Amino acid sequence: MSDSMQLWSILSAIGVLTGLGLGFGALLGVVSERFKREDNPLVEQIDALLPQTQCGQCGYPGCRPYAEAINQGDALNKCPPGGEATIHALADLLGREPEPLDGDAPSEAKVAFIREAECIGCTKCIQACPVDAIIGAAKQMHTVIEDECTGCDLCLDPCPVDCIDMLPRSSPLTQWQPVITPSPDLIASDQQGTPGGVHAQRV
Amino acid sequence: MPSAFDFPGGVHPPERKQRSNQVALIDAALPSRVTLPLQQHSGQPATPCVSQGDGVKVGSVIAKREGMISSNVHASISGVVAEVSATHISIDGDGRDEWFRLPPLAWQQAEPQALLARLNESGIVGLGGAGFPTHIKARVVEQHAIHTLVINAAECEPYITADDLTLRHYSNEVLEGAQIIARLCGAAQIIIGIEDNKPDAIAALKQALSNGQPIAVELTVIPTRYPSGGEHQLIKKLLDLNVPSGGLPADVGVLCHNPGTLLAVLHAVRDGQPLVSRVVTLTGEAIAQPGNRWVRLGTSVKELLEQAGLNHPGLNPAALNQVIQGGPMMGSPLRTLDTPVTKLTNCLIAATIAELPPGPPESPCIRCGECESVCPVALLPQQLHWYARAQDDAQLERYHLSDCIECGACSYVCPSHIALVDDYRDAKHRLRQQHIETTKAEHAKHRFEFRQARIAREEAEKQARKEARQAQSRRTPSSSASASSGETDLRGLRIAHAAAKASVRKAEKNLARVAQQDPKQPLDDLETQLATAKENLNAAELQLTQAQQQSPPNPAPSKESP
Repeated sequence: MSDSMQLWSILSAIGVLTGLGLGFGALLGVVSERFKREDNPLVEQIDALLPQTQCGQCGYPGCRPYAEAINQGDALNKCPPGGEATIHALADLLGREPEPLDGDAPSEAKVAFIREAECIGCTKCIQACPVDAIIGAAKQMHTVIEDECTGCDLCLDPCPVDCIDMLPRSSPLTQWQPVITPSPDLIASDQQGTPGGVHAQRV
Repeated sequence: MPSAFDFPGGVHPPERKQRSNQVALIDAALPSRVTLPLQQHSGQPATPCVSQGDGVKVGSVIAKREGMISSNVHASISGVVAEVSATHISIDGDGRDEWFRLPPLAWQQAEPQALLARLNESGIVGLGGAGFPTHIKARVVEQHAIHTLVINAAECEPYITADDLTLRHYSNEVLEGAQIIARLCGAAQIIIGIEDNKPDAIAALKQALSNGQPIAVELTVIPTRYPSGGEHQLIKKLLDLNVPSGGLPADVGVLCHNPGTLLAVLHAVRDGQPLVSRVVTLTGEAIAQPGNRWVRLGTSVKELLEQAGLNHPGLNPAALNQVIQGGPMMGSPLRTLDTPVTKLTNCLIAATIAELPPGPPESPCIRCGECESVCPVALLPQQLHWYARAQDDAQLERYHLSDCIECGACSYVCPSHIALVDDYRDAKHRLRQQHIETTKAEHAKHRFEFRQARIAREEAEKQARKEARQAQSRRTPSSSASASSGETDLRGLRIAHAAAKASVRKAEKNLARVAQQDPKQPLDDLETQLATAKENLNAAELQLTQAQQQSPPNPAPSKESP
């Protein structure tokens, strides 16, 4: 009698747990199918760290495709505009080892400039610009909107008359910062007799 | 009468105000040429509206405000425009000093809109140092209820006496200007905060207050301690209100104005005279006739100091070492004297080397904690120092770097002579730069996405036209072969279409929400996002209709067979 009771209790426990397992498994399965996300949130995060110049120097057509490729396991060091800072941020995010940059980091921010007298109005650069920063029409002079240009230099190659230059970007006056002169390298004994020993009268 | 409350920290640097507050306020000589920078205020620079060779009178608008936060610039002498460049406008004077004034306004009767328009036209900005356009500050009442207007006459920095002298000479006018602003923003009371080291100004104010004022004015004399003139510190001291971190005084219902600004407000409203001159303190051991002057904006600093006896043979007291614009604690040394006086120049210190000696070389931080006890914002300056040098941005944010008012009290007491404020300014600049970079990247991303969507839509349109042409030429739909795949295609397209519709709605909602929250901020990016979503929707719609036309209305036999 007690034997059958024991067996029954064991069997019922197994049955209940199996039932729970199956039930929750089915629920998880249904939910994952029902609320499936098309986009990968990790790709979004990687994309947010990339500089969005859409320059294609990584070999992919834009920053988002490169973000997808990184998610698939591509190297982190193919983004020259981002430089070391981007590589470290990506390595932090993905828990990978940072690698040295593949290629040369740009020395300064650039902006495309069309020598307007030489422009023949072929619209080739307009088609190449990934951020619609060039305005103009067929057989009309083109020009670059400086604020929108990301300095990707994708417009240089298509230009048949080589009238586009990459110029250093001018920074507005509001971003001016006074130059801090480093204190002269004196040795400690030279400091004697320096004034300024007025200590604050504490409140 | 509220008793004086206290803010933490503070220092007592040598005041040295006697050098410039002994003589009366006088007019500086009319300059023969002025150079007016287009940016003399916070926000966007103004846009020139005159060209070379134009004749101007004193008070003619020469550059108009551009964008949300900006201010007009006016000619400060009469004459001919000599140069218009991207950064400044120069005017050669004719010496006649002819004025162009706007019609006077009776402020007691005038509509608030008319008063605001007048402040806007007159190019009034905060003359205390930040240069925030006054008409924008007055419009804060649209978002916050203001109960108190504080007149910030503390003038806590050493050397500077411009507000002191302004109050001695124009106490009635300053109070009238305060009444205008208080009426504009609906404040119920006005409090004057003034340090006890200005007995003459206090006496003049008491005299003026005995006449009676429409809105109650209270004079609160506070003990002298640097930096009691900081907006947040003064509000704490006078009203015991804590302005929240990253907030404005308006968040606690207070508006702060400098006496000089209020005087300029009165001149603009009562006399129709725009902001073309200001009071500047000329002081320092290197000039023979220190004092305060009414200076036309755009006057060269060199000319001004020479009038006050700089490098004067016979009079010259000592050799000039450096000229500091602003006070010794927060001001910046001028690299060249060929620079104009702007709306923000409140003081010029021509200092000798003995007066303001260069700081001794820096030693390592010994963690004495002196800086922490003098910080008026109760930050931890030494922690900030370490993190700023290590460029640890996350920690800088955690230790509230952005709340630092750069008063220089920590640098002043540092026994290791570390230029702490320089570190903070540097770090703040770096963080600002990073922020600009990320917003730019975000903007470029949206434009790129919009372009992708537009190209996709154009592709879909092209495809649709091609199909239509083909269908017309053949007239025999041959879609039976791909019926089953067409059906799944159709379903996929319907889902894509619904998703695109949802994303358009989401973008619209987002835009409306942000626009309602803060109508001032630029919405370009959100608008681009909405446009992108719309393009995607268009493309999806095209593909869907095209697929629907292609696939025949459901295969009939399957339904009829049973």
